Amino acid sequence: MGYLFDPDNWEWLTTGNNARFVFEGFLVNIQIALIAMVLSLIAGLVLALARLGRNRLITGAVGVWIDIWRNVPLLLLILYVFLAMPQSWKRTWEDLAPGFLSDVLQDGSVFAALIALVLYNSAVLAEIMRAGILSLDRGQNEAAVALGLTYWQRMRLVILPQGLRRMLPATVSQLITLNKDTTLVSIIAIQEVMRHGRILTGQNFFGGVQAPILQVFLFIGFMFIVTNLALSRLSRRLEIREQQRTGTTVKPVTGLEDQVVTVRA
Amino acid sequence: MSSFVELLTENYGALASGFWVTCRLVVGSFILAAVVGTLVAALRIAPSKWLQRLGGIYVETFRNVPLLVLLVISYAGLRRSGVAIDTWTAGIGALGLYTAAYFAEVLRSGVFAVSRGQIEASLSLGFDYPQTLRRIVLPQALRTVISPVGSITIAMIKNSAIVGAALALNDMLKEARILSSRTFDTEAAFFWAVVGYLILTVAATIAIRRLEQRYAIRR
Repeated sequence: MGYLFDPDNWEWLTTGNNARFVFEGFLVNIQIALIAMVLSLIAGLVLALARLGRNRLITGAVGVWIDIWRNVPLLLLILYVFLAMPQSWKRTWEDLAPGFLSDVLQDGSVFAALIALVLYNSAVLAEIMRAGILSLDRGQNEAAVALGLTYWQRMRLVILPQGLRRMLPATVSQLITLNKDTTLVSIIAIQEVMRHGRILTGQNFFGGVQAPILQVFLFIGFMFIVTNLALSRLSRRLEIREQQRTGTTVKPVTGLEDQVVTVRA
Repeated sequence: MSSFVELLTENYGALASGFWVTCRLVVGSFILAAVVGTLVAALRIAPSKWLQRLGGIYVETFRNVPLLVLLVISYAGLRRSGVAIDTWTAGIGALGLYTAAYFAEVLRSGVFAVSRGQIEASLSLGFDYPQTLRRIVLPQALRTVISPVGSITIAMIKNSAIVGAALALNDMLKEARILSSRTFDTEAAFFWAVVGYLILTVAATIAIRRLEQRYAIRR
């Protein structure tokens, strides 16, 4: 305990721009997480709708696709995509990456990381969304058909608004997992927070005192706790607001996210 | 395809030892997660506000920190600060304590799935609180959590790949990486690693399904 709270061991935090250095690495994680979240949510919805379609061939193929990516360790996927991806793809990303992204994210390896993250998380999210839609009463869809609504009108006005509300808790807990999993991209040498932490605690660090590993990574862990707690608070708020707005209580869909936390009661 | 088979037959020893290391990691972490998870769940449902809060802090901390950060803290961090911890203890400790947070949450929600009336009935029949938990609540709660515990176990098997990457443990993925850089046959090396992980996850799935068929309560 003495070691942990010894002010000397926390000196690195206020020395030079160490704190800023760690935080900049953390921002890379946040950016990767945000891009991967948006893409995974879109791809997940497309996959879920494709799997619920009428064509047997398509639903079967999409089912196999989802099961493959869901059951592979994400770290293995990141490494494999990075090693197997043709150089030309990475170069294309370096040429075409949007200018507003920071320099670290312009690197070709980020493209590999994003593909792996989206492949994995879109498959998990697709299963959550499918379960959310399937949990609705059949009558909802039948009534919408009887009212003469087209497929997209039914989805947009009847099915998705209700289904999305049920899948919100599971989706958010998956997004928190995604946020944590961005640290895994350090394995393919993307300069994010784990790498910055390693540099700060490394033997050949010239920028001042060599920082203690324990304290630096506790600090990094703390940053993740703060962002993830904010994310789950936000979803809780959203749930309560929706409950008040619609005057209904929603039975959430659970059991399909990566790390399950609740049981269907 | 022949190159796939060739890689397996020529490097069977390395791949098998990686598989074995992953197995030991998974089993060790599962036991730790089950024990710590049950203790934390007990704190979370204890009749004292402070104990509940303590359990809550545990869950929120370990659930929101990346496993990779936990691994660095538990091995490199502790070593640098003078604690002589070995790789196995650090690996099983980090993976087990991380998974325990999820374990505790699932157990807690399983307990809450048992209706209040049963607890009240049991108390009015003269059982005390620990007896009620042990005889009425837990047997039912454990049956409802079989399937989510299965999902957690499968997630833990997949997460065990992170342990090998962070620490000097030659698990399934590490062996595949070594093979891939030695033979330049990335496809074959990673294919066999995926097969190794699939063997474990499929075995876990089957075991859970068996347990469910025997014990689960349909709600």
